[in-house]
Order: sequence, then structure tokens, then C-alpha cells
Amino acid sequence: MSGDKKVKDLIIDAFEYPHVPYWFTIKQAIMVIKKSAVETEKLAPTVLVFDEKYNLMGTLTTREILIGLEPALSKPEAIAEGVAGMFGEESKKRAERPVSEVMIPVRYFVEPDDPITKAAAYLMIHHDLILLPVVKEKKLVGVVRMTEIFNELSSAIL
Amino acid sequence: MDQTIHRDYHQKKLYIQLIDILKKRLQNGEWLVGSQIPIEDELCKIYNVSRATVRSAILDLVRQGYLTRQQGKGTFVCKKVISEELIVLASFKELMFESGVNYSTKVLSQTIIMPVDDLDLKLNIPEDEHIIYFKRLRIIDNEPVLLKETYIPYHICPQLLEEDVENNSILELLETKYGIKLTKVKGCIEIANLTKDEADLLGLTEGSQALLFTQQFYTNDTVVKYTRTIKRSDRFKFYLEFERREA
Repeated sequence: MSGDKKVKDLIIDAFEYPHVPYWFTIKQAIMVIKKSAVETEKLAPTVLVFDEKYNLMGTLTTREILIGLEPALSKPEAIAEGVAGMFGEESKKRAERPVSEVMIPVRYFVEPDDPITKAAAYLMIHHDLILLPVVKEKKLVGVVRMTEIFNELSSAIL
Repeated sequence: MDQTIHRDYHQKKLYIQLIDILKKRLQNGEWLVGSQIPIEDELCKIYNVSRATVRSAILDLVRQGYLTRQQGKGTFVCKKVISEELIVLASFKELMFESGVNYSTKVLSQTIIMPVDDLDLKLNIPEDEHIIYFKRLRIIDNEPVLLKETYIPYHICPQLLEEDVENNSILELLETKYGIKLTKVKGCIEIANLTKDEADLLGLTEGSQALLFTQQFYTNDTVVKYTRTIKRSDRFKFYLEFERREA
């Protein structure tokens, strides 16, 4: 039964994703994302942010980068009117800030032997995450994604 | 194969020709290791040269390590036959301290990054490949003297991410533990103006000048390691050691 599957059955290698240290600037993260997109032709990989001892600190997507460049984007008024002078000189300055300031900090993780229902489904839905780090003895061993969990759980229905 | 000595004027000196001929016989194994080569008189007859010529040739081959002279017994083929192609391998020790100087290392970073700022060119890798990044500070008498950043493509040696690089040399780990033999080093020495981060770590002021030493380490055509070393210019020296090793 799908519900018996463990996280380790769906785990994805962390190296499928670009890795940056927290001190990389937003500008450097943009370059990383664009270079990674060359192969996949998709401009939406998640970038994993690490500290100096290779501990996972957070995740970064195009969304966080855009908000980092233009914080006004996250304000409701932006939907209605757009923001005057968005992405001007101010954005260039903001691009020099470290990604630690705009990333989504990692707060939740699962272990390889956790059932996918607990780990992935609950945590991801409850906290609106795209991916969840899988950690064993404090070491990052991979990630699980909504895609694989959905495929697995939905195959029980079909 | 030409086994005769030529006496034409424009030919090489006689003893040099003889050296070449004898060397080929040694390398082909025509004379077995440990066996005695023909005595001087015989060699004179075989090749129709004077004793002096034979002596000069033998002396040179002894110097090169192909033959060995045993007093009163004769000349013998050495156990080790050195191949003609000696590979010159320079081992770099980027910094050698005078003996008795104690230095310690602080590992500031040991993590994974992506190639930015021309790192893909320096390491000759695609732009979406992961890199292991080391940042270490060498300290002498509680004073930081050297800041060293090392970049190694992750796929070359993933295990290095977990290794103790405070007490071990990355170069030695690569060669000895992981069998990755370096065949070439390209280095560049220049003067650099310190960034704030670099200056803070070395106890200097931002913008002050320091010696910057960058190196690319190759295994054949693959860059396996790129290092960026900054040294305080007021103390200690960069010391380069070249050592010729046999293949």
C-alpha cells in the first residue's frame, strides 16, 4: 500500500539542485539559476542554501529572488497597480545582498525511515513547502518533493 | 636498428653513438639484469672503436644508472632500467616554513558551491556543476599569515567534503588516499588589493596590498583543483620546491 512507503523510497539526490553558500549575493544566485536552466530549459529550480559546514539553511526560488529585488511585490497594492519604477537602481543595490536575507529558512525535515504520509504529506501541505530535506544523523542525504509524493499517493486512487 | 658506428664527419661523436647503441641493447633487455656486459676489449672489437671511446660510453651509462662497476669484477647491468622518457614532475609546496615554526590551520569553510565569477573557466567545468569549496587560514604564533581557498569539482572526489582538512593536506589526500595523480600545475603570482572579508581575516586594512597566488592543478587535461592563496606581504615567504621524479 502506498501509505506504507517510506521517505527513502522517494528520495531525490540533493545534487539534483544547485547549492549555494549563504553569503552568495542575490545577483550570484540569479546567475546560478540561469546557468542551471540551460540544461533543463526551465527557469525554476530550487536553490539549496548551505552554511560553511555544509548544513542546509534554506531554499531559494525565483519567487524569493524577485521579492528580494523588489520588496514591494509582496504588497497587495502591487497586484492592482504594479509598482512605479520597479526594478530600477534600487534593485541593483538590493541584488548585492546575501541570499541569507531572502531565502526561506529550513525549519522542517524528515528522516529516511519516516512514512511518506507523516513526513511529506503532512509537513509539506501544512507548511506549504515545495521540497523537504531528508536528514540522517544530521547529514543531508536528499530531498523529497511534492511531485513524487503526489504520484505515489494518487496511484492508490487510480 | 642501426648497430654500427659511423665515422663520417657530420655524425655525432663516436662515444655518443656508442652510448645510444648500448642503451638500446639495455632497454631491449638483450643483456639481462645483473649480468656482466662484455669486457672493454670485446666492445672495442665489436664496434671497432678505441678503448677510450668505450670507457667514455661506459662511464656515462654508469652515471645514468644503467650500469654499475664492481671493482675487480667487471661492469654489470643494473637492476633498475630507467626508461628513456623521464617525466619531470614538480611537486609544489606552496609555503614552506622554516623548521621549528609551528603553524595551525583554521577551517573556515568546507561546503558546496556553484561556479560563479569565472570559476567554471578556471576549473574547466560546465556552469551547472557542483564544487567543493574549502577556505582555510594558516596561523603562526597566533597571527594569521595565509588565507587559502581551494575549489575542487565535486565529481572528482566527493569524499573530500567529509575529510579532515585541518590536519591534512588536500593535495596529499588526493594523491595518496584517493589515487588522483597530479601531472601539471599552472601558477600565477600577482599583487591584489584585499577585500574587506580578506583584510579582516588577515588582520589588515581593506584595500591594502597582498601577494595573491593562484594555481590550477591538472591530472592530464582535467583540472582537479584550483587554489587562491593570499599572503600577508610583511612576513614569511612563498617557497617553491621542484623535485624531479622518475615515471
